[in-house]
Amino acid sequence: MARVPSDGCPDIDGPLMRAWRRVLPALALTGTALLSGCVTSTVDEMVFNEPIEGIGDASVVILGRRHASDYETEFDFIECIADHITKRDPSIEIIDELDFINSMYPWFEPRTAPLRPVDIDRLMEQAPVAEQLAAMKLEYMIWVDGNTVQTNSAGSMTCGVGPGGAGCFGFGTWGNASDYEATVWDFTDRAEVGRLNTQTSGQSYMPAVVVPIPIIAPVQGTACDGLGDQLLEFLSGDY
Amino acid sequence: MTGRQKKAHRGTPAHGVEGRLWARARSAVLALYVVLLSACATKEVTVSGMFPPPLVEPLPITIGVWYEPEFANHEFYDEAKGRTDSTWIVKTGEAQVEMWSQLLERMFAGIRPLDARPAPDQMNPAVDAVLIPRVDELQYAIPAHTNIKVYEIWMRYAFELVTTQGEPIAEWTMTAYGKTPTAFLQSDEEAVRLAGVVALRDAGAHFITSFQKVPEVAQWLESRQTAAQISTAP
Repeated sequence: MARVPSDGCPDIDGPLMRAWRRVLPALALTGTALLSGCVTSTVDEMVFNEPIEGIGDASVVILGRRHASDYETEFDFIECIADHITKRDPSIEIIDELDFINSMYPWFEPRTAPLRPVDIDRLMEQAPVAEQLAAMKLEYMIWVDGNTVQTNSAGSMTCGVGPGGAGCFGFGTWGNASDYEATVWDFTDRAEVGRLNTQTSGQSYMPAVVVPIPIIAPVQGTACDGLGDQLLEFLSGDY
Repeated sequence: MTGRQKKAHRGTPAHGVEGRLWARARSAVLALYVVLLSACATKEVTVSGMFPPPLVEPLPITIGVWYEPEFANHEFYDEAKGRTDSTWIVKTGEAQVEMWSQLLERMFAGIRPLDARPAPDQMNPAVDAVLIPRVDELQYAIPAHTNIKVYEIWMRYAFELVTTQGEPIAEWTMTAYGKTPTAFLQSDEEAVRLAGVVALRDAGAHFITSFQKVPEVAQWLESRQTAAQISTAP
């Protein structure tokens, strides 16, 4: 029988409850781990002329390639890589992709963006462009090309709503695959100084017995972490 | 059947099994109507967005610009072909004028908007030439049409560069293309709007990089340069 304290409320902070509170974080952690699907990731790296002392007060811009007809590198993926780098080394100044593209309009649109480091010379012939880039103290331009796609899907799920409530029953599964390549251009030397590639794949599941339980494989997130770590090693003097 | 039960069947609050069944049937019919209506609804998109000013060295000419009403109020209408299709209205006029005005303002030393198409008997401001843009064709594609997870807008522009008396200097066409991928919780209308903004940006980029390469325009610019050199020669 629950002990009743002076305020009249039952004491719910008994030994059982305390034990439950201790177990709860561990259960939540295990649950989170179980609810994440498995992801396989491969990262290839080929860099040269790596800055030994980091990039100092210069800045970097990370840009997505968007000239292919059937896909484009996601803006949020580029933002994810930039966040990954700046969170670990706040001294690295990364110019926001959209701000950079807008401030350099129309020279970094899908139609006009430079495809090779030598194309920068053509851009620099435009006096306002050269002035703007000099003001930015741009040292490295990193181009990321690729995307994340759904590779397969199977299963079925039925959901219904009735006066007594709503619920779903079934099972669904789908696969995602990411393939991104980052090319690092040294802006001062007009040369390619690195090429990094990450390939990631994973299978997500969604069983549903009344409530659907998504077990999501963080494919794009893993690709972002992989590429972000490699770029961080390249750009930062501390890693 | 009692009078009360009959009343319940006519839509008043009902009680009991029959009332509940009626309520369920009504909900199902309503849901079906919603699905059917949404399938053949008109989807209207007004293209609007942020167009950055171009980073270019202005050409040393003053240009007049005449936006024909069809251009300033340009809209594309595509009627639904079947019961599962939607009718689409894509309005680009306002965004066209906004983008082109900003672009031309930075691209040329001076710009004067005109109130009418240049003609021999008409008073026009002192400009070197008048540019008249026109949208000849607009096409759009959504994933439901192509099975590719990309929304696309393609436009073909026609430009006329004329003298203040309306005599032609150059005429040329130019294409622009914009696409945006599908995104979670993004409506068809929003995706088409974004594709429209990308297409307009592409139009600006294409115009800036191709204007001086149009043979008649290049020739006209060269003749102006030669005339200026002759007039400044000692």
